[in-house]
Amino acid sequence: MSGELIVKSEYSDKDAKVFVSGEIDIYNAQQFKEKIYQIVENSTGDVSIDCSGLNYMDSTGLGVFVGALKKAKQDERDIHIFNIRDNIKKLFVITGLDKLFIIH
Amino acid sequence: MELNDRITLSLPCKAEYVSVARLTVSGVAYRMGFDIDTVEDIKVAVSEVCSRLINVNGKSNGTYEILYEVCSDKLIVTFSSDIERAGCIFEDDEDGLGVSIIKAFMDEVEFCPESRDHILSMTKYIEEKS
Repeated sequence: MSGELIVKSEYSDKDAKVFVSGEIDIYNAQQFKEKIYQIVENSTGDVSIDCSGLNYMDSTGLGVFVGALKKAKQDERDIHIFNIRDNIKKLFVITGLDKLFIIH
Repeated sequence: MELNDRITLSLPCKAEYVSVARLTVSGVAYRMGFDIDTVEDIKVAVSEVCSRLINVNGKSNGTYEILYEVCSDKLIVTFSSDIERAGCIFEDDEDGLGVSIIKAFMDEVEFCPESRDHILSMTKYIEEKS
């Protein structure tokens, strides 16, 4: 079980694709925030976040997702979430955030 | 209800140790027979409380204790702390995400804002396998 947070990104045309792996909690939420905000700023289209490697997240990570979405929505862009584990998807559903993000 | 064991964990109010609280409760809950999904839920609930305690504490030195009470039919997790404003940990939780998650994931949650010895207690029952 790896707890280290790894965020990788790639850009195609206007869109950005992000691969997140590891764990997001209060210890590294700020690090995640800086990286994901930068990716949103560096792209002009939608942002896709592949969470297949994300093992754990709590509300500190959810807060960063919401902040990134607000940033994207300023330019009428969306954030798509792919391959999210059921235990993490549950957090989005409980808090009603599943209605704001496009979860595939 | 039969109380079998008590496990106490004392942690500094520092973000780097929240994973220790998660690992501990994960080990305890697995041993009790909770299924994987429920263990994940309990881990998140514990982490939410730890995160709030650390936020309320700011950069001050401080510690908090987590008591895991292993009963035949349930796990009780109780938080206590010597830090200032420990009882108000969810007062300025702007988005309320933490409280929503804790209440959704645990069967019973008791907030005790007046007491430093017993800030919050939460219980998860073991479901009978049919």
